[in-house]
Amino acid sequence: MKLTRTGDPHEIDAEVISRDGDTIRVRVGDRELAAEFAPNADGGGILAIDGRRYPVYSARRKVSIFVAVGPASFEFKPAQASARRRGRGLAAAEITAPMPGKVLKVMVRDGDLVEAGQPLVVIEAMKMETTLAAESAARVKRVRVAEGDTVDHGAVLIELSPPPAASSGPESAPPVR
Amino acid sequence: MARLTKLLVANRGEIALRIIRSARLFGLKTVAVYSAADAQSAHVGAADEAIAIGPAEAAKSYLDIAAIVAAAKHAGADAIHPGYGFLSERPEFAQAAADAQIVFVGPRPDVMAALGNKVAARRIAVAAGVPVVPGIETAEISAAREFGANAGYPILIKAAAGGGGRGMRVVTEAAQLATALEAAAREAAAAFGDGRIFIEKYLAHPRHIEIQILGDQHGNVVALGERDCSIQRRHQKIVEESPAPGLSDAMRAKMIDAALRLARAANYTNAGTAEFLVEGDNFYFLEVNARLQVEHPVTEMRFGCDLVCEQLRVASGGEVSEPAAPRGAAIECRINAEDPEHDFRPATGTVLHLSMPGGPGVRFDSHLVRGAEVTPWYDGLLGKLICYGADREEARGRLVDALGEFALLGVTNNAAYLRDIIASDQFRDAKLSTHFIEEFFSGWKIGNAEIEAAIVAAAISASHAPTENAAPRTGVERRSPWDSLHNFELWGARR
Repeated sequence: MKLTRTGDPHEIDAEVISRDGDTIRVRVGDRELAAEFAPNADGGGILAIDGRRYPVYSARRKVSIFVAVGPASFEFKPAQASARRRGRGLAAAEITAPMPGKVLKVMVRDGDLVEAGQPLVVIEAMKMETTLAAESAARVKRVRVAEGDTVDHGAVLIELSPPPAASSGPESAPPVR
Repeated sequence: MARLTKLLVANRGEIALRIIRSARLFGLKTVAVYSAADAQSAHVGAADEAIAIGPAEAAKSYLDIAAIVAAAKHAGADAIHPGYGFLSERPEFAQAAADAQIVFVGPRPDVMAALGNKVAARRIAVAAGVPVVPGIETAEISAAREFGANAGYPILIKAAAGGGGRGMRVVTEAAQLATALEAAAREAAAAFGDGRIFIEKYLAHPRHIEIQILGDQHGNVVALGERDCSIQRRHQKIVEESPAPGLSDAMRAKMIDAALRLARAANYTNAGTAEFLVEGDNFYFLEVNARLQVEHPVTEMRFGCDLVCEQLRVASGGEVSEPAAPRGAAIECRINAEDPEHDFRPATGTVLHLSMPGGPGVRFDSHLVRGAEVTPWYDGLLGKLICYGADREEARGRLVDALGEFALLGVTNNAAYLRDIIASDQFRDAKLSTHFIEEFFSGWKIGNAEIEAAIVAAAISASHAPTENAAPRTGVERRSPWDSLHNFELWGARR
C-alpha cells in the first residue's frame, strides 16, 4: 500500500505482511520490520519496534489516516485514494484553499506549465502566509482568483490539467486501483 | 468597594475557560459569549450562562463591542473580563463597558490608550527615567553620524511611518551610513508617502524579558518578578519561563524598579506587563501589554497566586500587597495547531484522541476535549503546558516528560517540536536570545524513528479497515487485532 504524508511529495510504500497475535510484520520500502502492538484501554496502544516503545494512536477520517506517536502528529493519505481523484498523471486537478483567507500572490497564469513542488498561490490565514504548490507536473488550465481576493475554505483557486506528455494517453484511462 | 456578582468573559478558548474557573472561585456567576463556530466549545459549557454573539468571523463576534456589551447588559453582568487578544487592549471597549456601568477588568481606557500608542508609551517611559532603545528621528547625515558614533554600531534605519520591516536596514559601520540613509528615505517616501526616517541602536542578540505588574485603584503597584520569553518565532512567543536564567539580582531589581516607575507614571491599574529587550548589562523598554498575558501561569506557579483572582480583587476595589518571595522555576510552552515541518502552516481538524499529561508540578491549560473542532477562524493556540520545579532543571525535566505524555490525534501540532526544543542542550544551557529558533531549530524535522513508527501504525490502520474500492490483500487476515478495543473508531474507518 502506498501512502503519502501530508506536506511531503514522496510516496511511502508500506504494507502489513503478516500478523500473529500482537506480532506484526510490516514492510516499509524494501525493509521488513517486526513490531509488537499492545493495546491500551484508551483506544491506543504501545507499539514496539527494535526494542523502542512508542505510545501510538490512529484513526481514519475521510481519506486521511491520522497517527500520533506520542507528541508527534502525522496525517497520511493512501496513495490509492488520491489516485482515484487523479486525472492522468495529475496529483490533483484543482488547487483549493485549505482554509478561509486572502489571496496574497498568484504566481502563475493560464496555460503555464508547472513542475511538481512549484509554488502557485500564497494565501494568508490565521495571520500566517501559506504557499500552495503543485503536487505534480501540470498545465495551468485556469486561474480562478486574483490577488486580494478573499476565499472560503475549499474554494477552487486554480484548475490544472495534465502536462502535455501525460495527456497523450486514451481519455478513458482508468486511475490506478 | 464595588461588590461584583456576575462576570462576562469576552473571549474564547483556553483563556475563557481559565478565567471562568477563577471567577467561580472568586464567587462570581459567569457568562460566556460565543460565535457560531464555538457553540460546542468548552468555555460555553463551563459558564453559568452562555450567549451567542454572532457568526464565526471574529470581526462580527469576538471583536463586536456592541454585541458583547449588549450581551453583558442582557445577562445582568456587572463586570467584563477581556482575556488577551481580541478586544483586550482596545480603549473603546473599556470605555463602552464603563458607559454601560459595567466594570472592565483591566486598566482605565485613557491609560490603555496612552500605552497602546508606541510613541506615547516611549515618551512616558523616557519621562519616568526608564531606558528605551536609543534612537532619533532624522534623515540628516551629520546627525546620523553623530548618533552612530555615540550609540555604537550596528544601527537600524527605518521609515518613521513604516511597519512590517519594510525599508528597514541594518548598518554595521559608518562608511555605509550615507548610502543606507538615502535609500531608506527614498523607499520610505515611495512606500508610505512619508520620507521621515527613524534611526535606532540595533540590538543584535537581545533577550526578551518582561516584568509582571499589578496595580490597584489606590495608587499601589507591585511587581511579580520577571519572565524570559526570548524563544519566539516570527515575534510569537512559544516558550516562556521564570526566573530568567542567569539574570543577576541587581539587574532584576533595576528592571522591576523601572517597570514600577513606568506603571506609576502611567497611573496603571490591574494586571499588566512591561516588556524589555536585554543585551549584556543593558535593558530597554519595548512596550506595555495592558492586559493579562498568555504566559501568566509561569508567574502564578512561582508566586503561588492566581492572577485572574487578583485582577478581580483589584477590579472590585481591593488593594494589592507585596507578594511573598517567589520559589523554584516554571517553564511554559504553547501547543499550537500548526505544522512545524512545513513552514508552520496552520492546521485544523477534529480532536480524535487527546492524552493529557499529569504528575506533580504539571499544569495543562486547554479547552481541548475529544471531539472538539479546531477551526480556521481563530489563532491556533490549543493549550499551554506549564511545569514547575524546585529549580530550572527539574521544571525542564518535567516539561520534557509531560510533552512526551501528550498526544493529540487529528490536528497537526507542534508538541514534538516543543519537546525537542525543551530537551535540547541549547535550551538546557539557556543560550537564549530572540534568535534562538533561527540559530538552533530552523530546519527541524521529526526524528526518523518516530516517522518509522508512524508509518508502521498507518500501515496497520490502513490494512484492517479496507475501504470499498480497495483491492483485497492476500495473506493478511482481515479481522482486526484490536476488535476488543473499547473504541472501535480508533484504528478503523470512521462509522
